[in-house]
Amino acid sequence: MNTKGDITVPLLEGRGLVKAYGPTEALRGASVRLDAGEILAVTGTSGSGKSTLLHCLAGIAGPDEGSVSYGGERLDRLPEKRLSELRRTEFGVVFQFGQLIPELTAVDNVALPLLLAGLTRADAHTRAGEWLERFGVRGQAGLRPGEMSGGQAQRTALARALITGPKIVFADEPTGALDSLASEQVMTALVHTARESGTAVLLITHDAQVAAYADREVRMADGAVVPVGVTA
Amino acid sequence: MSIRHILLGLLAGGPSHGYDLKRRHDERFPEARPLAYGQVYTTLQRLVRDGLAEVEGTDSDGGPERTRYRSTEAGARELAEWAGQIAPPAPFVTNEIFAKVVVSILSGGDPDTYLRAQRAAHMARMRELTAVKTAKGADLATVLSADYALNHLDADLRWMTTTAARLTTLTAEVDSA
Amino acid sequence: MSAGPKARLGADLRMAWLLTRGSDRREWWRIGLTAGGAALATGIGLAIVALNSLDGYYSVSFGDGLLDSASDRRNVSVVMALLLVPVLGFLGQCARIGAVHRDRRLAALRLAGAGAWQVRRIAALESGPACLAGSLTATAPGVPLLLHLWARPTALAWAGFALVAVAVPVLGAAVSVLSLRHVVASPLGWVRRVRPVWGPGRALRAVSALLGVAGLLLGLSTFTGGPVRLALGPPALFVVVLLVGAATVSLAGTAARRLGGVLASRAQSPALLIAAERLREDPWAAARTHAAVLLVTVVGAGFVGVRQVLLETLHTMRREGTLSTDLGYYTTGIDLTAAAILVALALTLTGLAVGTVESLATRRRGLAAQVAAGVPQRVLARALLLETALPLAPAVAVAGVGGTAIGFWYASLASHRSGTVLPYAALLVPLAVYAACLLAAATSLPLLRRSVRPAELRHS
Repeated sequence: MNTKGDITVPLLEGRGLVKAYGPTEALRGASVRLDAGEILAVTGTSGSGKSTLLHCLAGIAGPDEGSVSYGGERLDRLPEKRLSELRRTEFGVVFQFGQLIPELTAVDNVALPLLLAGLTRADAHTRAGEWLERFGVRGQAGLRPGEMSGGQAQRTALARALITGPKIVFADEPTGALDSLASEQVMTALVHTARESGTAVLLITHDAQVAAYADREVRMADGAVVPVGVTA
Repeated sequence: MSIRHILLGLLAGGPSHGYDLKRRHDERFPEARPLAYGQVYTTLQRLVRDGLAEVEGTDSDGGPERTRYRSTEAGARELAEWAGQIAPPAPFVTNEIFAKVVVSILSGGDPDTYLRAQRAAHMARMRELTAVKTAKGADLATVLSADYALNHLDADLRWMTTTAARLTTLTAEVDSA
Repeated sequence: MSAGPKARLGADLRMAWLLTRGSDRREWWRIGLTAGGAALATGIGLAIVALNSLDGYYSVSFGDGLLDSASDRRNVSVVMALLLVPVLGFLGQCARIGAVHRDRRLAALRLAGAGAWQVRRIAALESGPACLAGSLTATAPGVPLLLHLWARPTALAWAGFALVAVAVPVLGAAVSVLSLRHVVASPLGWVRRVRPVWGPGRALRAVSALLGVAGLLLGLSTFTGGPVRLALGPPALFVVVLLVGAATVSLAGTAARRLGGVLASRAQSPALLIAAERLREDPWAAARTHAAVLLVTVVGAGFVGVRQVLLETLHTMRREGTLSTDLGYYTTGIDLTAAAILVALALTLTGLAVGTVESLATRRRGLAAQVAAGVPQRVLARALLLETALPLAPAVAVAGVGGTAIGFWYASLASHRSGTVLPYAALLVPLAVYAACLLAAATSLPLLRRSVRPAELRHS
């Protein structure tokens, strides 16, 4: 953690975030902070604004009001080109499904961020193979996402999110479509890798058992962060 | 939970003394409440009284004298019968959390704050258990017993979430009764 | 149980209306384009009926005498009938808009207890009215136009008009029922993604073989005829055109798969990799869309070549004084054919654009997720264009060469009259078509920008 005296400087901080989609107010002044290397769970019922909060914090969507600062930089003021670059270098993103390109094999999907960064296909494949190995899906390297089980696809997605050595992984219901055993494998893989590499994780989930993998929890209701309660 | 039967089960593997039984119990059921020595010895004496176990002998390897027990045939029969019996699925709903919520409403307290604090405590315990089971080198018994507790805590949590959302209706119902 | 057929039809019609009314904008696009295609089909049908209900020699007040003799009218109606092919292809493409959603919707109806025939009827009732609207739009101005041009149309002409106006919506409904056979068979629908394995199957091979034999026979028989007769209504030409077209369809698919495979293993750039893998995964999706492009290229290149040689021949004949009829008679015929081909090209390009847009629309959630994960939009845009550009390049080239060959063949037949005219203009056709296709594919780029908005991530 970046500490200066006893004031901790957050890695990522959203303040007073407001975001509306048409008449739906998804966020109504949500504030949240994420420290370096911290695994933070954002929980809440569906429709409480969890995903929109992640979109704003990851620079996928711009907030209507409020600020997002990342390492002292105002994320909400950056142009889309720079945000896109940030998302494939310093951030990793995992969704419930859909982030893998259905036509590409697992190894090509994992290698994609490296190819985008300009590595040759052979080098990118070597590194992607190592990451697939780490997540226990080396044997599925030649399969397309549709040919893998849900758990294998999500572990592939994690490998793709982590291959660039990001500072933060944003995970939106990464186990939402999985049974409990597959969910456990995916979460264990995520938590172990994040702790080893000191990657911070913002984990969106409605499942308390998944949220329990985090170091800390914030709860959302009606588009705002609500107090979690005092631990006795 | 029948300590008698668990001790009989541990004895089924071969004769053993009290201290050893306690140690093996705590190993086998890692997240359970650890057995107290006193409890082990009184239970063993009752087993002997009921003819389900008997004293095999005493060892003293230079230290204090220790009694070795073994299971009898009647003990083996009793154990087999118990292991095959279904556990009654929640015959009485004893829910301390619910009781506190109702009492809180009756006495004009703040059930919402209580539920939130309880929820936070549950989550803290769940994080602890998750840390235990995801620690490198955790064996399967540890993972499974942590999972058992996690699932129960999760069930409590879900119940608390729906209850918190329906507190207004519950308050009206309790107050009018 | 005891409800009469009338009551059942009423209930199905209500259901179809409810489903259509509640659907999104895309469904209205489908209805609009389907109605447009149906209007075109009806218009062509009406023209053919009007031409064929005349018998013997008439002095028609327009068309430079092209429509005066019965055999010329028949030839013109053959050209118009051929124009129905791209129109039907276009209608087929329209039926694919929102196909995934419609399949799901109808599968849900099946799960909710609707019988197989009920689902078929509802589907027919959903698309029938769109075709009916199109057919009425074309018939409404068609009738006064007929009365204006023809003082007292025969009863046969009226009957034909009525038949066409009714047949188009009925056929449209029938086709939509046919395309739903998978859903009707399985209430679970075709939600799961299955890798398509079909290529040009037995049917296509059989048709190609038949066409080949027919073409050979006709080709032999036409050597006895003169070149001018050949130009105006020779089935041989059409058969050759169809044959080349069919060959290009199968070539397009196979080449797309091979090309995809080769490029996928060597690609260094992400856009090329994505495009190549998409081609390898489903080469026939592209081939089906591109088949019409290739046919138009063959016909277009062939026509441009024939036209050049024919005009040269006619001018030579006029100079020599051997031309018996007015030159306008021939040029009207040529212009009419050119118009028909341009209409076909326009339809094909619209179909291509619709296909690209539809492919984007069905993938939009995935695309939004990829952009959210940091894949730059321009990479996806480039992949989208490459997906059209890569397989079309060799196919259009071959189709262009095929079409040009027709022109050269015709030139060699006519060389004794026109001297040595080389139909070089035909070579420009594939280039123009290729450029037009890329432009058509590029029309979907604004949709790509809209599709990858984070709001799309909210839909699953």
